[in-house]
Amino acid sequence: MAETAPPAVKAPVRSHRRPSRITGRAARRAAVRLATSLLVFWGALTASFFALQAIPGSTVDALLGNNDASMEVRQQIISDYGLDRPLHAQYLTYVGRALLGDLGRSYQLDQPVTGAIGAAIVPSLQLTAAGLALGLAVATALALATAHRRRAVRSISSGVELVGVSVPVFWAAILLLTLFSFRLGWFPAVGGDSVAALVLPAVAIAIPVTAVLTQVMREGLERALDEPFVLTARARGMTDAAVRLRHALRHALLPVVTLVGWLFGALLGGIVVTEKVFGRPGLGRLVVDAVVTKDLPVVLGVVICTAALYIVINIALDLFYPVIDPRLRGVS
Amino acid sequence: MFRPRRSTLAVLAAVLPLTLSACGGDGAGGAAAGGGAPVQGGTLTFAVNSEPLALDPHTSPQDVTAIFTRPILDSLVSQEKDGTIKPWLATSWEISPDQRSYTFKLRQDVKFTDGTPFDAAAVKANLDHIVDPKTKSQLAASQFGPYQDTEVVDRYTAKVNFERPHSPFLNVLSTVFFGIHSPKELAKGPAAQASNIVGSGPFLLEKYTAHQSATYRRNPDYRWAPPTSSHQGPARLDRLEIKMLVEDSVRYGALTSGQVDAILAVPPSSLRLAEADKRLKVDRVPVGTYSYFLNTTHGVFTDPKVRDAFRSSVDFKTLVDKLYFGAFTKAYSPLSPQAPGYDKGTESQWGFDAAKANRLLDEAGWTARDGEGYRTKDGKRLTLRWPILKALDRESRVTLSEQVQAEVKKVGFHVDIQNVTFNEYLVKYGKAEYDLLDYSMRADADSLRSLFDTGNITKGPRLTQNAARYSDKEVDGWFQQALASSDAKTRLELYEKVQQKVIAQSVVVPVYVQSTLVGRNAKVGGITFEPQGFPLFQTAWIGRG
Repeated sequence: MAETAPPAVKAPVRSHRRPSRITGRAARRAAVRLATSLLVFWGALTASFFALQAIPGSTVDALLGNNDASMEVRQQIISDYGLDRPLHAQYLTYVGRALLGDLGRSYQLDQPVTGAIGAAIVPSLQLTAAGLALGLAVATALALATAHRRRAVRSISSGVELVGVSVPVFWAAILLLTLFSFRLGWFPAVGGDSVAALVLPAVAIAIPVTAVLTQVMREGLERALDEPFVLTARARGMTDAAVRLRHALRHALLPVVTLVGWLFGALLGGIVVTEKVFGRPGLGRLVVDAVVTKDLPVVLGVVICTAALYIVINIALDLFYPVIDPRLRGVS
Repeated sequence: MFRPRRSTLAVLAAVLPLTLSACGGDGAGGAAAGGGAPVQGGTLTFAVNSEPLALDPHTSPQDVTAIFTRPILDSLVSQEKDGTIKPWLATSWEISPDQRSYTFKLRQDVKFTDGTPFDAAAVKANLDHIVDPKTKSQLAASQFGPYQDTEVVDRYTAKVNFERPHSPFLNVLSTVFFGIHSPKELAKGPAAQASNIVGSGPFLLEKYTAHQSATYRRNPDYRWAPPTSSHQGPARLDRLEIKMLVEDSVRYGALTSGQVDAILAVPPSSLRLAEADKRLKVDRVPVGTYSYFLNTTHGVFTDPKVRDAFRSSVDFKTLVDKLYFGAFTKAYSPLSPQAPGYDKGTESQWGFDAAKANRLLDEAGWTARDGEGYRTKDGKRLTLRWPILKALDRESRVTLSEQVQAEVKKVGFHVDIQNVTFNEYLVKYGKAEYDLLDYSMRADADSLRSLFDTGNITKGPRLTQNAARYSDKEVDGWFQQALASSDAKTRLELYEKVQQKVIAQSVVVPVYVQSTLVGRNAKVGGITFEPQGFPLFQTAWIGRG
């Protein structure tokens, strides 16, 4: 079939003629990507290890707790945790273990760090994913509705977005709770397990996300709508809605996808406020407690985990670009 | 001599959003009125304002840990409001003539909820567990003082030995920080106790989710409530849920919208609203005192005149009334007014007097003023270093500190409020690099010793609680007499003298009396309080509708 296809249908011809070059290029891109990812990972690990060392106060004191512990007990614990060894040795051991997936034991929680993170990461991911999905959906709808509309519509929309970006999450969360939980009783303020309890915190973090994404997406849409191919499409008799959905949206999505990858990391990092207001467990609470009690293994574990997630998400998004934009399938 | 040494974290527990619970024995308590006739069954949801860092009360010094574990754990003895010790899991006890041994006769019908029988071996396992370094006890072990060992005399007789007399023992033994776990569960090690506690109490823990909640089920076999309880037999509630809602407005909103049935710590700003709301009731239980401790060994406060001037230059009564809307009241002594041994004489010992403050500072040589209006001596400004952990603020203490800063400026003090991290705080505390530190004590008379005994001045790496770094031979002598005295009345008289003297020497500036403010739906009844102010749910009920 490929041999008999007219030259206008490019893709099958190309797949027939140049498969090895494409896979080779893809493999090289993946390798570069992996190398930079590892570099990011190592950087995160090293920076947080030394930042924590710089915090004043003795780890042994935080660790011991027991006031009447004898000198022998103190020594025992110090050597058990390897705290008497030079810093570079502690660092090397730590990196080595981290590469093998062993994040050590928490000083304060009496359990392996992987266990503590495993329990905390699920509610955090649920919240982040729900907030991002909601923000993305609303932003798409808003951008499609407002791009290249009358001046008044666009100014109102930009104004609302500006407020959305500027509103502190804490304040928005309290406001949402007061109205939709305490007054109207639509959603529970407490109770972390149910889907209903996820709605308000997700809305709270979706507000700034929506505002940012709408602006970026509208700009992309407007640029696309000025392209000659839009004129062609309209000349073929396409409706305005179809032009926006089928042609312009794809163009506008590219920068948004890049932004989503970054937002994911930002949201996960700033999630503690939302968790606290809504009384939810999660990664934010875990890491704040750990910093306060100088629970080094947990802090490092969370940093590593977040960095790894961030890298995975960004690689996944990289792979996703060609799906949105066929032009990227052949070039790097 | 007994020198209670508290750890870093125990000291901080008093400063951070956890109040340190010292030896029990103040006179708070009593049943909450209202709620109609007792009702059997139902689920009560209670929300608290902080979160346990550790769930085992043998390890943790936190109030909130006590609240989470009291439904599960019973103690060997119980305590009346007036401080009298009553039986509980122990039916009787004898103290040896040298006051170094306590022999307890135990109840023979008690069973832990995992089926393990309660006996002398269980007592030994628990008391040894408190002092085991692996437990990392931050409070109970130091309250245990010169504990030596526990002998299992026979199946239901346990003998607890001390190296020297330790008179606060029965007081602390009545608290949940000395609660009795199932020895089978304890044997599983600290990792197990991080998420599960098993005891013989009126409820058993079903599920504990850190940062979120704990759910409990009634223990149907419970027949050993203490004589101090107003309700004997199993708990009235089928189920109990305790949620952690640290945000004040969220916790209060959850109460008013009926999403929870009762809350700990009604925000002071909402107190009047809550009291005016017919659907709600508020129980006030005075529990402790929040004070400023002035560093008597380093900096400007080594001069008693400067200390007195600082204390006299602030109208604390007006500040406290305005800031807390009547929820908290002005304190005069480091002990709270309801505590046995409280010295009422302190109320007339000191007060606001700006003229006196100015005169004292002149006498102390701080006569010159610099360009900003602060007093100086030999070219040095009259500056107070005040490290505060703003990130962990509660009860609007940061706001209060800023108001105090503005007040004392009028007589020429420069207050340097330092917003520090937890670890910076530890370092400054250890090296005495401060002029003023603030914290609250759930103070009973015995805890005055940890605040003002020379032995509790921080030396070396471990922090102890005498933040004023106060050292006085006469006061130390009174403490020793009190420790050796088995007569409660003599002890309390000695502690009254201590209060007089530390106030006279301006070592401490008591600021406000803290109350536990429990807000509850009017259909909730029967929540009672331990002498330390912790709510008890074995007696509680919830009406229908």
